[in-house]
Amino acid sequence: MINAVVGDVLQYGDYLLEVVLVAAVVYRGLWRRLPGVSLYLLSLVALDTVGRPLVLYRFGFHSTEYWYTYWITNVALQLAAFLLVCSFFRSACANEERLWHVLRLALPLVFLLTVALSVVPIWQGRLSKMNMDFVAQFEQYMYFACLVLNTLLFIMMQYVEVEEGRLPLLVCGLGLQFAGPAAGMAVVVLTGGQEYAKSLAAHIDPLCTLGMLLTWLYAVRRVPRTALRPVREEPGTVEQAA
Amino acid sequence: MFAASVILIVSAALFLFYLQATCQKILAHKFDQAYYLTIADANRLEFPFVRKALEEFRAPVDYPWVCMTLKCDYLALTYLLKNAANAKHTYTREERLLMLYFRAIFFALFTARLLKLAEKPAILKLTEILQHFADIVGERVNQVRFGDLSASDYLITL
Repeated sequence: MINAVVGDVLQYGDYLLEVVLVAAVVYRGLWRRLPGVSLYLLSLVALDTVGRPLVLYRFGFHSTEYWYTYWITNVALQLAAFLLVCSFFRSACANEERLWHVLRLALPLVFLLTVALSVVPIWQGRLSKMNMDFVAQFEQYMYFACLVLNTLLFIMMQYVEVEEGRLPLLVCGLGLQFAGPAAGMAVVVLTGGQEYAKSLAAHIDPLCTLGMLLTWLYAVRRVPRTALRPVREEPGTVEQAA
Repeated sequence: MFAASVILIVSAALFLFYLQATCQKILAHKFDQAYYLTIADANRLEFPFVRKALEEFRAPVDYPWVCMTLKCDYLALTYLLKNAANAKHTYTREERLLMLYFRAIFFALFTARLLKLAEKPAILKLTEILQHFADIVGERVNQVRFGDLSASDYLITL
């Protein structure tokens, strides 16, 4: 009972924040400055807030239609997240064309490697093509690949000059969104799909999405366009105050 | 199994790393002036002196005094965040996050003390959070007019 209430609160919180964030991005005219974020948010609203509940309402929770819709939209959102990370790399490398040329080759290679790693169990005959375990495995590797790429981007941003002041917080938010579910999925695999692990993973996903959306909302509302520098007082200001 | 274990460890570590990085990015918010000086002055807060002692004089850490001072400053500032020039009398989401961050670092400081590790970085981080809180209070108070009263005078009357 409590499990269901917590799940509903998190889920509806996500829906509400997704819509609020899209409204904030449009209201502040940020869709031109942050096209990747805007498209990702739109896909979240279209698939997560509108698409899935519509199919759920029409066919019911235990229907095959909802089951396929859920997994297909999950993969679509995962791919959208990967493209978002790529767009963040592009923004961060706005003044580093040579670095971007390298990344333009490396990023598709990472994607192909992730697909290849997910296909290996089918090739070895351990998983069936129709088995959704393949999709779960692909998602797990994809989450982890995005998490590693996002972390590399975060580290890279400490060394290159980033014009967009909101980018570090957007990357932090996305990191939260990738790290939580990747850990949750790993727990499910390690426990052999125990019910408590599945229940935990089911709550971690919307909770991390909530964390990401709140971080992005802060970035959109509070952070100025230009990059931030921490304020440090001049020597002697403490004595003046005293 | 091995891959799942690696993913779990790395993901959990990165989750905490991103939480910490988010808090640090919020703390990097630039205020148009050093509001915290007025607030520290009006409320006899001691965190600027703790930081000065650690940064400039490289004094050894007097752990009980530092802990008591920072805890008292934290209680005073969280009260002010809620009640000084705040019509809603509630904390914002980022303030709640930073309050959790403060407690987490306080716990890390306690652990560092037990394990005999360096305490200075944790203490400096705590003073940074307190400075941010004081800056927020100062900025809010500065936006409200109280006749001829300055921010310090107003806060003394609270």
